[in-house]
Amino acid sequence: MSETYDRGSVEDFGRWREFRSGMWAWIFHKFTGWVLVGYLFTHIAVLSTATASDPAVYTDTLHGLENLLVVRVLEVGLLAVAVFHILNGVRLLMVDLGLGLDSQDKSFYASLVVTAAITVASVPTFLAGV
Amino acid sequence: MAEYYSSFERGGVRWLLQRVTAVFLIGVLAFHFFLLHFVNHAADITFAGTQARMSQVGYFATMWLFLVTATFHGVNGVYNALVNQGIDGTAKRAVGAVLTLASIALIAQGTRVALAMTDLL
Amino acid sequence: MSTQIEQKETDEEAEAETEIEPAEQSNQERRLSEKRARAEANERQRREREAVRDADNDIRIKVFRYDPEVEGKEEPRFDDFRVPFHKGMTILDALIYARDHYDSSLTFRHSCRQAVCGSDALFVNGQQRLGCKTQIADLETPVRIEPLPHQDVVKDLVVDMEHFYEQMQAVEPYFQPDDLPEGEHEEQRQTPENREKVKMSTRCIWCGACMSSCNVAAGDNQYLGPAAINKAYRFAMDEREGENAKANRLETIEQEHGVWRCQTQFSCTEVCPKDIPLTEHIQELKREAVKSNLKFW
Repeated sequence: MSETYDRGSVEDFGRWREFRSGMWAWIFHKFTGWVLVGYLFTHIAVLSTATASDPAVYTDTLHGLENLLVVRVLEVGLLAVAVFHILNGVRLLMVDLGLGLDSQDKSFYASLVVTAAITVASVPTFLAGV
Repeated sequence: MAEYYSSFERGGVRWLLQRVTAVFLIGVLAFHFFLLHFVNHAADITFAGTQARMSQVGYFATMWLFLVTATFHGVNGVYNALVNQGIDGTAKRAVGAVLTLASIALIAQGTRVALAMTDLL
Repeated sequence: MSTQIEQKETDEEAEAETEIEPAEQSNQERRLSEKRARAEANERQRREREAVRDADNDIRIKVFRYDPEVEGKEEPRFDDFRVPFHKGMTILDALIYARDHYDSSLTFRHSCRQAVCGSDALFVNGQQRLGCKTQIADLETPVRIEPLPHQDVVKDLVVDMEHFYEQMQAVEPYFQPDDLPEGEHEEQRQTPENREKVKMSTRCIWCGACMSSCNVAAGDNQYLGPAAINKAYRFAMDEREGENAKANRLETIEQEHGVWRCQTQFSCTEVCPKDIPLTEHIQELKREAVKSNLKFW
């Protein structure tokens, strides 16, 4: 048999303009998933150091973190990531139950829009008093 | 592909648990966010407040379940993402072992932290 | 042709000189030559008319070329062809024109040209499509034609389909009834409702577009793929097969690299040229597997 040309096994991300909604949903869900898992481990680690000794350490650590603007901004990012993962997750649950398969692409766009709306609406609360 | 697997290795259990934990997490994560960013502002949290909340058994139990389900959902998600990417053989078993250990460690440490936040210990 | 006629004329002229009845022969020969001249003139005019009509209506196609056995084609490249457009032209028509008029080494699979053989699945303007079923008029020019992604390219637009066929065979894609009906001439009956349920899943033409579009199939080589799982669905849901056969089929597809790998990306459903709701079928099989496993008592 003659040689074959191996064009690689993973979808070429250079062709992202050709991606459809279902593919974007899969990519975003994976990305937000990794971020949330990373956060979970980090969160427990931070709380571990904060609860190591006396209560004042806990309060001071948290206040210290919350005073940093970058932490506040990251929290808004965390909210966006979590909200998208939840909303798209609900969409996936619907698909798994076989409901609304005809509008699965519309429901993806809806989750993006609602995520954006909730994130923007929460910014005042999150950045208050920094 | 059509190797015969034992009847105990059906992939359906983890798939189902991923969905079940997902449903639980939707509620609990939203609740957690709401409580700690909207009802109480994160910047105003004190140890006293945390201790008061965590000392209520119902709340403590919910938070502990939150820890366990989130760990399973997240780590199982990571494992599946890697299997989809095509890891196989030794690498797969190694990753599986590491992820299992990491989950156990996370739950153990999380439990210790949770207990340290109460006045029960 | 014209040289033949000339020869014939000279032959007959020579013959006429030596023949006894020159008048009749030259009359017949004159009639025939006039007829030929008329036919040639008509043909010429027809071609000129067509050229004028099509001159404004050329479309450009860019075709992926690769041939490991030919120097100069060992590195993949894109060849540009200008093809006269006619109403109703499909990608396959354009490729055949390019092959017949410009480069007869252009290689691609095709057979029925009516979307039933599944030979000509291609990657056109960034999406998997069937060549004989896709209208050029529906596409943005220049039309970019490539072989199916995620598969090894053998030559030009021909990909290695072996892996796809292996996955299809792995689900035993043939009818396996538990028992045959009594009596030699008894039919195996199926209700219209049951037929309706499996109808869409029977339409698969094994073109491979779905598997090529699936990211999970691209990453995980052991994944059965949407076409194979759909085939399993077609038989598992067919009431004529019986409970045992269904249980066996479910066992095959509920292995780790079966239905559970599907991440509901929906690309397969979108590209299927026979409009089979593949994701829906896979989801239904997942639910079936969960339900049958829950009954562990």
